[in-house]
Amino acid sequence: MDFRFSREEENFRQEVRDFFIKEEKVTTEARKEWDSGQGFGPYCWEILRKIGSKGWLCPTWPKKYGGLELPYIYRYIIQEQMHYFTNIYATVSAGMAGPIILRHGNEKQKNEYLPRIAAGEIEFALGYSEPQAGSDLASLEIKAEDIGEYFLINGQKMFNTRTHYAQYHWLGARTEPTGPKHKGISLFIVDLKTPGISITPDWTLGNMRTNQVFYDDVKVPKEALVGEKNRGFYYILEALDYERVSTTAGLERDFKDIMDYIKQSGKGKDPLIRQKVAELAIDIESARLLSLRVAWILNMGKVPNYEASMLKMVVSETEQKLVNTAMQILGPYGQIMEGTKWAPLNGKFEWRYRDSLETLVTRGTSEIMRNIIAQRGLGLPRG
Amino acid sequence: MNFSPDKEQAAIQNAVREFLAKEAKDLARGAEGTEEGYSRELWRKIADLGWMGVSFPEEYGGSGGEFLDLILILEEMGKVLVPGPFIPSVICSGHAILKYGSEVQRKEFLPKLTNGSLVVIPALIDPVPDTIQVSIKEQMEVKDGDYILSGVRLFVPYAHMAEWFIYRTRSEKGNMFFLVNAKSPGVSYSVFDTIASDKQCEVVFEKVRVPKANVLGGEGDGETILRGINEWGALAHCGFILGLLEQVLKMSVEYAKQRVQFEKPIGSFQVIQHQCADMATDIDEVKFLTYQAAWVLSKGLSAKKEISMAKARASDACRRVSLLGVKIHGGLGIIIDQDMQLYFRRAKAAELAFGDGDFHREIVAQQLGL
Repeated sequence: MDFRFSREEENFRQEVRDFFIKEEKVTTEARKEWDSGQGFGPYCWEILRKIGSKGWLCPTWPKKYGGLELPYIYRYIIQEQMHYFTNIYATVSAGMAGPIILRHGNEKQKNEYLPRIAAGEIEFALGYSEPQAGSDLASLEIKAEDIGEYFLINGQKMFNTRTHYAQYHWLGARTEPTGPKHKGISLFIVDLKTPGISITPDWTLGNMRTNQVFYDDVKVPKEALVGEKNRGFYYILEALDYERVSTTAGLERDFKDIMDYIKQSGKGKDPLIRQKVAELAIDIESARLLSLRVAWILNMGKVPNYEASMLKMVVSETEQKLVNTAMQILGPYGQIMEGTKWAPLNGKFEWRYRDSLETLVTRGTSEIMRNIIAQRGLGLPRG
Repeated sequence: MNFSPDKEQAAIQNAVREFLAKEAKDLARGAEGTEEGYSRELWRKIADLGWMGVSFPEEYGGSGGEFLDLILILEEMGKVLVPGPFIPSVICSGHAILKYGSEVQRKEFLPKLTNGSLVVIPALIDPVPDTIQVSIKEQMEVKDGDYILSGVRLFVPYAHMAEWFIYRTRSEKGNMFFLVNAKSPGVSYSVFDTIASDKQCEVVFEKVRVPKANVLGGEGDGETILRGINEWGALAHCGFILGLLEQVLKMSVEYAKQRVQFEKPIGSFQVIQHQCADMATDIDEVKFLTYQAAWVLSKGLSAKKEISMAKARASDACRRVSLLGVKIHGGLGIIIDQDMQLYFRRAKAAELAFGDGDFHREIVAQQLGL
């Protein structure tokens, strides 16, 4: 057993940190763009391209697709620093769509997309949820009709975040209207500039933009199909396991802000605060170890099973504990928004309290995560 | 980065598990209500297998392993609730003497601790003042080169089976520790009935004469000895707790799969599934916090924060997981003839040993710089 990174890995981590520190201007601006909830702006793209040009966005990929053929732990190290400095903890292209294209795409698709993903030039937006299909994703209805020379797609998506700035839609659509629902879904890569696609924003209480997407007689070429027709649901499930992997760098960074506040405000002697903060530290350390465990599993070339779901659940619920602890410590001042000298930490936790709800219900709700842990992890029978 | 035991450690764990599955079934239940509170026969057997010597140098009868190896053994012992003074005697007293004893004391005690022929129990805890009247006044005198010790110590596990105590007392220079023969004139004890039937005792010293040669450690070592005993004891309990909780989850999942109500196994109901998922999550957190702390200690580094993080989480998980275990078992969860209640009661003792969650959170707060 070993809970330390190797010397090479530690050196690499320092190298990555140094990179972000050297690029302080771009990094800081990228983080502001990301935290604004509006999506990637010019600085986000710039930092992604810089990271991509070093092969760091997809370091585990084959060199011919822009990777460095490094073990997974190097990806973890990069993700952790990227999370810490920019707050962007994942991109859909590198983290979800890319791995599926690598495993299930054809050679043409791999050459078309993977190098550009690795270079940080393109982003994908997930096209899963619909008004009547959230946790019950198999119930999605958007139709992809096989016309012969192309697919004709009609329907509506909801909570499709990133579609307003991504180049491609990672679209799950129904290609078989009869039979079991989960066996009639296919996965497509759709150019979001295709005529017939329209996007309407929805705003969350955390000021994050997500979108409704409407497909109105959209013609999508046959080459857009990923893998086998009607096998899309299984590719989506596989991608979800990757999606649920994250680092705890954001939690650690926010915890440091809370600690600094406590020390500066002289509240460190209050026994209640000491108990709450210590418990939070233990929560974050537990989450960090669970995150490392998933990285270790991926590093061995295996796909995490219930472990990724447990991680996702723990990180999002620890985030709730963190924002709640912060608000309790700040007292009535915690509710004041940024913009007045009376807002502690520039209203950071007022915003985080609202914004952190998002991660409870996206990428798989905590309740679904518990189902997965019970069924896949413990072997309990389906209801 | 490696989250699993290495080949040797895995082999030891498997051997321990197989042995206990054969020899220790129903042992915890059987030991309750006996005078000794544990099986001396099993004690001899595990001593013969070398478990007690795992973390001690070969020159004292050990096998020169690491603390982490010991934690893996304790995990298996926790699964079947092996009763007895393994933690206080072998781990706490053993490591205290190994680290702070004179060469004479090490040669005298350690081989007998590692071969199981001697039980040495730390007597550390003062009664909280002003609650109950204490008949013996706390005192330490020096007379003709010997120490004369008087005082009351509580929560001394298996004091009735101890051949020796490691007795803590206060001097003007801070804590001091003495190796005291349990048969010394003036030593008496009484055994509490406790929720876990784990033979915790009151030990009374009334003008007990202890030779100077039996002082443990050098001048000024008292605080480090106390810290060491508390850290090893806390971490050892984390290992034991991990096994205890893993077994509770295993029993609960098995029960949920076969118990049918409303024409379905109750394990197919979401509430039961979510309860099991929460137990599994608590356990995985306890597991890696414990392994990490043991690994840091095994590397010879200070593990104060890591141990307190592990014990705080393990203590609270004891409550949460054992309660869910009872709930999942329904009516059978409270019946004496069933095992679940045994784990529930043992979990409480383990939660409290060497500091509960609140106690260890305060240490973590200090370690964070508050």
